[in-house]
Amino acid sequence: MVGSPGLASRLYSSTEKGPDRELIAARNGGSVKNFIVGCLAIFLAATALTLRVGSAQGPYDSQAAMSNNSSDPRDLSGFWALSIDSRQIPPAVLVPTVTKTAIEKREKADQKAIRWCNLLGMPYIMDPGRPIDIQLGKREMVVFAEVPASPRHIYLDRSAHIDPQIFDPTTNGDSIGHWEGNTLVVDTIGFHPDRGITAIPGGGFRTATTHLVEQYQLLENGALLSVKFTWSDPKVYKTPHSYEFHYYRMPANYEPPPGLPCNQYDDLRTQFLGFTPAAVRKPSDVPGAR
Amino acid sequence: MISGNSFKQTVGTSSIIRNKAMSVACVCALSLLGLSAALLTRAAQQDPTSTPNILLEGDWVRTDTNGSGDFGGLNANVAKAQLTPAGEAIAARAGRGRGGRGGATPPAAAPASGAKETPHAAGQAYVLVSMPCNGMPGNGMGSFNPDSGGFHLIVGKTQVVWAQERGGSRIIYIDGRPHPDITNIAHPVYNSTGHFEDGVLVVDTVGLPTGGGIPGGAVRGPNTHLTERFEVSPDGQHMKIVYTYSDPSLYVAPHTYTYTFDRAAPAPTYAFEEWCDASDPIEGQSIVPPAQQ
Repeated sequence: MVGSPGLASRLYSSTEKGPDRELIAARNGGSVKNFIVGCLAIFLAATALTLRVGSAQGPYDSQAAMSNNSSDPRDLSGFWALSIDSRQIPPAVLVPTVTKTAIEKREKADQKAIRWCNLLGMPYIMDPGRPIDIQLGKREMVVFAEVPASPRHIYLDRSAHIDPQIFDPTTNGDSIGHWEGNTLVVDTIGFHPDRGITAIPGGGFRTATTHLVEQYQLLENGALLSVKFTWSDPKVYKTPHSYEFHYYRMPANYEPPPGLPCNQYDDLRTQFLGFTPAAVRKPSDVPGAR
Repeated sequence: MISGNSFKQTVGTSSIIRNKAMSVACVCALSLLGLSAALLTRAAQQDPTSTPNILLEGDWVRTDTNGSGDFGGLNANVAKAQLTPAGEAIAARAGRGRGGRGGATPPAAAPASGAKETPHAAGQAYVLVSMPCNGMPGNGMGSFNPDSGGFHLIVGKTQVVWAQERGGSRIIYIDGRPHPDITNIAHPVYNSTGHFEDGVLVVDTVGLPTGGGIPGGAVRGPNTHLTERFEVSPDGQHMKIVYTYSDPSLYVAPHTYTYTFDRAAPAPTYAFEEWCDASDPIEGQSIVPPAQQ
């Protein structure tokens, strides 16, 4: 283009002829202005683009907060909700010693746990009727629900369970987890045989000898969380009992509403649940009390 | 040798080259300037001192640095809160509010002020808590001011979760979100947001339910701001939380105190479960007083 006679001669002419020179000078002035405007536009665009990329990792990104997926196949952190189509639960195959009477006795115990606002524990905490919060830390993953229940701690920093001789059984048990590819495999023992709601979806209940294995895996670009539960217990199940939940990821800006009350001293609630209200104990109820 | 015309053409061509070169340089310089400014800003946002402190995660227990041995002694070194008349009114309604997991003891069980306590009969328990296990997790101040129960901090991508063994969990959002408009929330509920400053988690909480239960006889109301600074020692074995309550309607001056904690040991540590069953009569009663020597 530099050797182009047309352009060269036009510019040449501008140095030679008055009117053309003014015209070309004006043109050149226009070009400078255009360049400045163009440069400023590029400057602003580059700045804005880079700041936008940075903002996703810095200040609150309200656009990203509406998102309900994740590109990280291990990003289990977030609020997760079960819906009407979220449960795939086949009936459990129980051992003969789990009779109708034994099941009814367990059901009554579960009702009592609800009436007294006891810690409800596993597996109820995984399907509590409201979204559950899962947060993946470096050392552990925690699961908690807005119901009377202890948070569930899944330790990622050890490969062995706490010695059963030391561990006091709990409603959630002792959980350890490890990654197999992009699947988090969680192993739980140490369940308390009586406390909380012991019923297991599909049939059966947890006991002191129950062993649970769970597989957590993200699906649909992180919008869905599949959890496969497999319960084993020679006292309850003839064969391991498996079922699967699909949790929907809530938007990143979701915040749980205030917790619902659970008042074991509410007479209306107690009667509604089919129990007789308990009198508040007075000092005279205990011999020797003041 | 260059002819006159050729010279003029060459000068003209050089002029084009110079103009274009300057333009390209201008574009490049400004673009680089823009990119540099943006990258500097981004670098500031990704300041390593503002990244989550992973030492924060783990199991913590409160320490008794004064060797006081009881709850009253633990808070003995907390300066009395300087309250406004409105704050004093809340404090009067709230009472001592030292926490605990049960309902109030009936008035009859408490000796009148100044009255001499009579010892309990040996071998016989007495009612200590009339409504044991009562209360909603997270509705009081238990998740802010831990007592003898252990608690656990989990540092996630967008939240720091505070899980207490005595019930009550707490979410601290660390994704930069603002507080919601708490005036639109029907129930009293607090909202905590946090960020890291040189490895210290700085948390701001609003929407605290009105009441007391804060060391130093302090109170909280709908406009109270609680700032907490979670500072872990370099070896990761100790932590202190500096609490500051600010509310011009309730406080003459901001109310500040510090709690200290040790990381639970020995490893492997894990969360205990504190069971409380109100249907069990023993939950509300005392130990059986032994015979006095």
